[in-house]
Amino acid sequence: MKRGLITWDKSELPPSVFEARLARARAALAKRDLPALLVYSDVWRSNEGRHLTNYMPYWNRSLIIIPREQAPVLLCGLSPRVYPWIKSVTVFEEIRPASKLVPTLLQLCQERGWTKLGVLDLLGLPHEIHSPLVASAVEVSDVKLDLTDDAEIAMHRRAAQMAHQILVAELPKGAGLTDYQFCGLLERAFRRAGAEDLVLLFSTGGPTPRPASGALLGDKYSVTVALEYRGHWARVTRGCPR
Amino acid sequence: MSFAINEHRRTQLLDLMTQRGWDSILLYGNAWRKDPFRSLVNFNFSGDHVLARLSRTGEVTVTFSDPWDAENASAELEPEFTRAFAGGAAAGIIAIGGLEFMEERFVAACGSLPVSATADVEELRRVKTAEEIGFIKQACDLADRGYQHFATVIEPGMREFELVAEVEAFLKTSGAEDNFMLIASGGTEVTGMKPPTERKFQKGDSVTTELTPQVNGYYSQICLTLVLGEPSPGQLQSFAIFSEAQQAAENLIKPGITAAAAARAQNDVFRKYGYGDYTGSKYTRVRGHCLGLYPDETPHILEDVDYVLKQDMVVIAHPNTYLPLSGYMVFGDTLLITETGNTRLNKTEKKLFVK
Repeated sequence: MKRGLITWDKSELPPSVFEARLARARAALAKRDLPALLVYSDVWRSNEGRHLTNYMPYWNRSLIIIPREQAPVLLCGLSPRVYPWIKSVTVFEEIRPASKLVPTLLQLCQERGWTKLGVLDLLGLPHEIHSPLVASAVEVSDVKLDLTDDAEIAMHRRAAQMAHQILVAELPKGAGLTDYQFCGLLERAFRRAGAEDLVLLFSTGGPTPRPASGALLGDKYSVTVALEYRGHWARVTRGCPR
Repeated sequence: MSFAINEHRRTQLLDLMTQRGWDSILLYGNAWRKDPFRSLVNFNFSGDHVLARLSRTGEVTVTFSDPWDAENASAELEPEFTRAFAGGAAAGIIAIGGLEFMEERFVAACGSLPVSATADVEELRRVKTAEEIGFIKQACDLADRGYQHFATVIEPGMREFELVAEVEAFLKTSGAEDNFMLIASGGTEVTGMKPPTERKFQKGDSVTTELTPQVNGYYSQICLTLVLGEPSPGQLQSFAIFSEAQQAAENLIKPGITAAAAARAQNDVFRKYGYGDYTGSKYTRVRGHCLGLYPDETPHILEDVDYVLKQDMVVIAHPNTYLPLSGYMVFGDTLLITETGNTRLNKTEKKLFVK
């Protein structure tokens, strides 16, 4: 689960990066003559929204709205009590509470006079959002976006470097430990370095890695680290002895 | 196959299929919502999607989207996961637990529109078996020990995310499968908990956290507040209200009591002291919730939820909210509802922690 340091270091990702990404999204909308883009986001499916706005929900679900002519709006399942924090780590200036996401979205469409909407990966929407949305008076259409740019690749490289450096440094310490103990040791190292999320899998000679189960690692083992750093994932596997 | 089927749940689901006239039940799980799947097949997967299909004959087939999961479970692999839902109208009436959060492309792949089994399956899950209660007790033990570690290692100057790293390391070392954790620190300006920031703890801070460790799929939760240094009169007064409110719920909760009554018992304490305004959605979310394979199971403990609590449900009563006396404060324990009342499953002393 997302419980590491979620922040926005503007020396890593300057606001201009997000301005350029939003401009590309708006260009795609203009090409299709659509007034706004909807991007779904939840605890697990946060990458697209993070790319465009730096928003990642640590819990619950949200809809990100990118109007063609106005600033982005977040329709947020989280409490307004955390909106100041969300604003401090994202591009959003307007956040609306939305315990019921689709009615709040339709209200926004009505306010702004939108009769149609682009949706990033329309068929990827959860059924309980897709179903009332396509049944509404707002016409929705699927929009594809290229979410790769130099800044994105640089951040993945940074995440991969972090995963590699820490794993290589810590790997020998696993000898003789259980995978639980080594998992704890790695959690401390990665999260203190700023990892947002972490998936650790272990192998002691079997064909595939698996989550920790209390098994003794012995002197031959491998570890697979999937690391999320500032919204960017990297996966590294290393074995011991090397 | 190298995964265990929950035989009690299989029997319940087969009965449900007969009652509802369904031909098969599908239990879907993804990386966030593993719980519908794990309610029948308690296998901890690490990939994106999984589907268990229970036929009327009681046969269970499992399909994973990730090759490592499929190999570890000796189950079917379907990287193009829409194909896992193939069968269409020929399969009769399909009911799906977890339908609401399935991607629409998966729903479309079912052919005819499936019906939702989510509410029925959640109701079956609310009353825990002895084995499930055993896992939750283990998770409570981890929560107690995890909080002890939290209170031991915290110190002024440490950053919030560094403390979370220490607690996470302790819980994983102790065998936790996962842990959901929020935190906040500061004074009366703090209105809620969130993920950890780079803020450094200071003397006088009120530090709130909820630990939610998971053992064999099942979550427990503990909510506690710690003051760094001598507590202020406001912090002490605030904690006294929280303690009285939590105790009021603990005294009341038993089979036959509604979630609304358990919420009202807590909120009435705040009202008695003139803080009723702080029991609403502007300042707080819920007055507790159920626990199990999901850390925030329904019914929520709220004054408008008339669900009648049952024996062997596991709930947390936590009157967490903002008060101007102290800022946001949290306090709550995991409770097992027994035949005549409830048993507190956490052993941590019920107090305002001070360091």
